[in-house]
Amino acid sequence: MKTVLLGSAAIAMLAISSASSEPIAITHAKAWTMTASDPVPDATILIDDGRIVSVTTNGAVPSDARVIDAKGQPVTPGILNSATQLGLIEVSSAAGTRDQSSEAHGIGPGFDVSMGLNPNSALVALARADGVTGALSYPSKSDEAPFAGQAAFLKLRTEGGILDHAGAAVVALIGGNKWPKDAGSRAAQWQMLRRAFGKASDGHHDAGRDKGGPHGHGDAASGPPPGSDDAVLGAVLEGRVPLALFVDRESDVREAIRFAHDFSVHIVIMGGGEAWRAADALAAARIPVVLDPQANMPTSFDELGNRLDAAAILYRAGVVVAFGMAGGAIEESYNAGLDLREGAGLAVANGMPYVEALKAVTTNGHRLWGGGSGTLAAGETADIVLWDGDPLEPSTNAGTVLIDGRPVSTDNRQRALEQRYLPLATPQ
Amino acid sequence: MTMRFARGVIAMVAALSLCDGARSVPSAAVPPWRIDPFPSTYHPLPRSDFLLTNATILDGAGRRIDHGDLLVRDGKVVQIGAALAHPAGMRVIDAQGRWVTPGIIDVHTHNGTFVVPLTDIDKESSDVSELNSPNVADTWIETAINVQDTGFSRALEGGVTTMQVLPGSSPIFSGRSVVVHPIQATNIAAMKVAGAPQGFKMACGENPKSQDADAHDIHGPTSRQGEVAYIREAFMAAQDYRDAWDRYARGKAATPPKRDLKVEALAGILAGDIHVNMHCYRSDDMATMLEVAREFGFTIGSFHHAAEAYKIPAMLRGAGTCAAVWGDWWGFKMEGLDGVRANAALLDRAGVCVSMHSDSAITGQRLNIEAAKAAGAARAIGIDVPPERMIRWVTSNSARILGLQTRIGTLAPGYDADLVIWSANPFSVYARADLVVIDGAVAYDRASPPAHSPSDFELGRTGAPHP
Repeated sequence: MKTVLLGSAAIAMLAISSASSEPIAITHAKAWTMTASDPVPDATILIDDGRIVSVTTNGAVPSDARVIDAKGQPVTPGILNSATQLGLIEVSSAAGTRDQSSEAHGIGPGFDVSMGLNPNSALVALARADGVTGALSYPSKSDEAPFAGQAAFLKLRTEGGILDHAGAAVVALIGGNKWPKDAGSRAAQWQMLRRAFGKASDGHHDAGRDKGGPHGHGDAASGPPPGSDDAVLGAVLEGRVPLALFVDRESDVREAIRFAHDFSVHIVIMGGGEAWRAADALAAARIPVVLDPQANMPTSFDELGNRLDAAAILYRAGVVVAFGMAGGAIEESYNAGLDLREGAGLAVANGMPYVEALKAVTTNGHRLWGGGSGTLAAGETADIVLWDGDPLEPSTNAGTVLIDGRPVSTDNRQRALEQRYLPLATPQ
Repeated sequence: MTMRFARGVIAMVAALSLCDGARSVPSAAVPPWRIDPFPSTYHPLPRSDFLLTNATILDGAGRRIDHGDLLVRDGKVVQIGAALAHPAGMRVIDAQGRWVTPGIIDVHTHNGTFVVPLTDIDKESSDVSELNSPNVADTWIETAINVQDTGFSRALEGGVTTMQVLPGSSPIFSGRSVVVHPIQATNIAAMKVAGAPQGFKMACGENPKSQDADAHDIHGPTSRQGEVAYIREAFMAAQDYRDAWDRYARGKAATPPKRDLKVEALAGILAGDIHVNMHCYRSDDMATMLEVAREFGFTIGSFHHAAEAYKIPAMLRGAGTCAAVWGDWWGFKMEGLDGVRANAALLDRAGVCVSMHSDSAITGQRLNIEAAKAAGAARAIGIDVPPERMIRWVTSNSARILGLQTRIGTLAPGYDADLVIWSANPFSVYARADLVVIDGAVAYDRASPPAHSPSDFELGRTGAPHP
């Protein structure tokens, strides 16, 4: 019986694969387009050639379209988790499966996690089944404080790998517990950061002068070699890549604002437990924050201000907020979908408007890392999730998940185990 | 006097002595393992009787009452039903549109010993586990608890009215647990539930063996088979101790066996007086431990974490052993690879007593949501769990693990009035615990929260108080 079931599932997947070019109509959807503050009721979402064609109430269904009935339930853009280590850690306690951290001498900000991604990770499959289609996967510490390395932006495709683009951000960590031995005072960490960017900036300008202007790009002959630390920092200095700064304490958040101003770079505050205390300054400097929406304990002395309404406070002040890391270390990768949605729901329960919490797990992250817009606007890539209830309720399940306009498999180890042992759970 | 009667008296005297807070010298009537050297001094907070009306009540035992009323007098539930008579002059709490459940019970926390922020002293020598030996059965975790842990008040705000603090799982025999109400106090005795059966923590699998493999000065087991041999050896010594005590209690020996804090704790397990909470993940580990328990004639009250419990429902049901599980933790270590979200729902369907536990002060604020996750995963494989059934996973089943199933975890006449009024269905992430009642007294009121954080740690620091 089990064999037959598996067989039919495989056949279904083949059918999906071979029909990639057929148009799809999702009907009777409560469609959160993320381009308006309310959902489109009873929407027909038309998809063709991997892209969204239209989202209209009671829209007509083309005769050649494959129809997926949403049955009145919510449909959203794919969920984006803005801070994970998906594809980089399989089993925390199995060193051979951990690729998030460079311990190699001399590999600093240039450390590029994109070369270590595992698309077949069981964690990736579970995240996809939970409606996650995009994720930032960030490095932990490198050999050169205060840098971690370059984050990768993932798209959780089932074929062709999960890397969307490498070098989505340069990551650094500054604070009390982040460099216990190597870097000493956080003041020294700031100085190291400034020194590294100062040096890269000098080299950058030198390279630029060789090419006849301060904003010229270095080339292989005159600039830093591609992928080198200086080249990576140069991309930040040119404004092409954001600097993602893991800081929590208010003093470090304000120091980060000063740094962004002095070096004219785009930064993103990661973690930001006390960012709410500098909400107005962050808003004025247009610096976004990636929050753990579940953090409300004084986890470290840098995070005495952790609170569940931090997202609401930041939003009201005008700060762009995205969510990631939900639930701390155990959950950020192992439940990158479920616990992120739970965290967004908690933010709503603590004062964040519903649509803003949805943005924090869809569009806002794309504004930081790229990889599309995270909306259902016409012309956008059709990364879409159908839900069996409110997506911010942890008891809700993702149903059909579309990536690039095609339904993808949501098979995963947990579901396979549950199915295998379900017959033992005979009602008593 | 028949032996049966004598035993009955012994049980009664022992029960009284536990309630009174106990004597420190064993007598023929009180075996040493029943002595509580750290008796409770808990007193309920100031309280008044009340009638709660118009609520959706989940009684914790499987019943749902729409538009239900609940009468509380002298800290106990007196009546539950629809349209109860309003005793003259009694305070009425209108719960129109809101839900009422028993207080949430968390059977697995490390509050007061895993106290954030962690600092150098925690890295050097944490209070979560005593590491001088694989057998620290002589330790009582209540002697380590820092009551200013913000985890207590956060849990209370999440509707938790009773929690068990366990020692960590590095030693095999990890020590005595303590059951407390998460109220503000200056010492743990003032939070300790009086008359609760004593609990004990044991651990199997990866944690104890890796601890002893790492330690240079401890010669404990470094393998699973070594752990099992160690456990059997220890229980054989405990059998001898228990038999010696029985000879003394029956007047067959002139003197009691010399006190030994480790051996007597294990003898208390064999006597059925001390409830075993056993940390295990894998189904084969749990099956082995059930065999060891059968060999020595005791019952394992509960497996904690029990990531693979869903693979052995019949075994657990047959042994009368509960499983305390997570909503969604899995994968971070080898023995946790096969954790599944539907674990609780699969076990419940198979008739196994199952409970959601936290092990974390973050998760411990939302055990109701952990239950909702398990139910959501179950729905995806065709198992529907209604709220009145789900609530048992965080109330009455949890009470059973603590041996308190006739006192808490259910809203029925005679039970302690530990309850929560929720702003909405408690399995929704948007639901808030509006009112948390312990022994009939309001312990937390969202409408008038304390002006400052209940924990001294957060008091007087710069910035707004924690909301």
